[in-house]
Amino acid sequence: MIARDRNWLLVFVVCVVLAVVYPLFADGYQLTVIRDALIFGLFAASLDFFWGRTGILCFGHAAFFGIGGYIMALVTLNDAIPFGSLLGLAGAVTGAAFVAAIIGYFLFFGGIRGSYFTIVTLAMGVICQQAAVSWSSVTGGDSGLIGIPPIEFDLGGLHVDLSQDLPSYIFVSAIVAVAVLALWSISRGHWGTVLTAIQDNEVRAAALGHNAPLRLLVTFVLSAAIAGLAGALYVCMAGLVAPDLSGLLLSTEVIVWVAVGGRGTLLGPVLGAIFIQRAQQTISSFNPSLWPLLLGCVFVIIVFVLPDGILSIYARLKGLFKGGRRAQ
Amino acid sequence: MDFVITTLLNALTLISILMLVGLGLAISFGLMNVTNLAHGEFVTVGAFAVYFVQSVGGSFWLGLAAAPIAGAVVGCILEFAIIRHLYSRPVSTVLATWGVSLILQQGLELTFGLGAKPVTPPIEGTLDLFFTVYPAYRLILIGIAMLTLLGVILLISRTSFGLDIRTVIQNREMAEGVGINTRRTYAIAFTFGAAIAGLAGGLVAPLAIVLPQMGVNYLANAFFVVIVGGVGSIGGLVAGSVFVGGLTSVLNYQISPSLAQAIVLLAAIVAVRLRPNGLFNGASR
Repeated sequence: MIARDRNWLLVFVVCVVLAVVYPLFADGYQLTVIRDALIFGLFAASLDFFWGRTGILCFGHAAFFGIGGYIMALVTLNDAIPFGSLLGLAGAVTGAAFVAAIIGYFLFFGGIRGSYFTIVTLAMGVICQQAAVSWSSVTGGDSGLIGIPPIEFDLGGLHVDLSQDLPSYIFVSAIVAVAVLALWSISRGHWGTVLTAIQDNEVRAAALGHNAPLRLLVTFVLSAAIAGLAGALYVCMAGLVAPDLSGLLLSTEVIVWVAVGGRGTLLGPVLGAIFIQRAQQTISSFNPSLWPLLLGCVFVIIVFVLPDGILSIYARLKGLFKGGRRAQ
Repeated sequence: MDFVITTLLNALTLISILMLVGLGLAISFGLMNVTNLAHGEFVTVGAFAVYFVQSVGGSFWLGLAAAPIAGAVVGCILEFAIIRHLYSRPVSTVLATWGVSLILQQGLELTFGLGAKPVTPPIEGTLDLFFTVYPAYRLILIGIAMLTLLGVILLISRTSFGLDIRTVIQNREMAEGVGINTRRTYAIAFTFGAAIAGLAGGLVAPLAIVLPQMGVNYLANAFFVVIVGGVGSIGGLVAGSVFVGGLTSVLNYQISPSLAQAIVLLAAIVAVRLRPNGLFNGASR
């Protein structure tokens, strides 16, 4: 356990160093590409925090990403609201958390787990996208909302203006690093241990005095809040928000990022998001309709060949060199 | 009066379709514990079968006969290639079947091209029902759906295969112990459910917008039918279909379809909170 934590921190530090050094070698465009990928990485980490620790798969996580995005867009586009960026971020996080709390309350306290939860969240994603399309007076319908200003605020004498590439890259990297570190500390500590116990045997965990539905609910709400934050950051960087951001395809893509990167590692999903987006851009430049087809194949391949994600290749190789002993 | 009957018949149309789609899901999800996210694609495949037969000059009825066969073929391949290897890994089943669903959707789009496909109903015009005037095809649809459901009930309650299914569902180990080939029974039951969903797809094809992505709406609704109705009985299936289909039809009159969908979802979630074992099932299973 201790060695595993040390390894995780080592990888984390390497990633942070890479992120710090990267601007020295990259131009503005490359910085924005990585910045956007990092935001989706944060989104993937938020899903992993819930799925990886509880074993319950949320199939509509993009709903929270979209809710965060739309709230941010509506707040910052409204000139009457002062401190738009800060209030928008706060609203996005609270809004996503609020929706998750309502849905989660009924599901977790209603005894809904496993596949049932997956199905209900899938429907939730479908409905969020439909709502974004049909409620056009507020959401702009199919075309969404454009002209969302970059984040800009004053905090304790510090003026933050993210209209330039480098500041926005630094801001996003810092948020992602802090959030991933925080999620990791939560999930490796007492809270995570109890979640693992609930996942293994909920009845027994409850008998030991843990309020299982409440634990699951709080974890779900926290996960949704981070997803909402990622959505809010994304729309400010992209300058637009569209119904796709809450759609089923994004919900599925984020699952692939987590599954490829390695469920339960938090860092793996961030890296998975970065690399798969890179691959997606390359493939889509040949033929846009090829990507969903490939995505489908990736799902099937992961299940049969790499159930523990890309990082498990390393562990398997290590096991191979240790004369067939199982590595951990 | 007029308005009430029309709403009632509209609801009955939707309920019939939901029952047929939900039947296969009740078998795989409710009884075999397999979360098959490609179930909606059986509906799509059925609808495309009708479109394909019509486009090469066949009649609607020929297409409707092809629809369950197409659904069964896809279902059989899916069970054989993927699902039977994953019975003990529920989350993996979710991911793999979703992958298959994406592959099927994209495959259909690459084969048949973009855009909605036209399917003409076999009978145009309306029927005077004394109280109201109603499209004749919808009445036929309701009739076929009810007959199919009756056939399924007879199959499960009266034939030896139905007995096998009921045995396997109640206790898999014991069924194996008395010499039933449970793998084969699962495979046949799954294929059967896919065929019924394909038939449902063929039936809705003239009414719906036939697109490669049409399955997901039926998928979500059919899952609610099974979750709300509770698993393990035809009565639960009917109760779930009436709840979801009836509520959707009534709401569709008053508000936009998306909002109606959202309200049905919320109502379903609340219903599950209040009756965790389903509306129909009093006893736990």
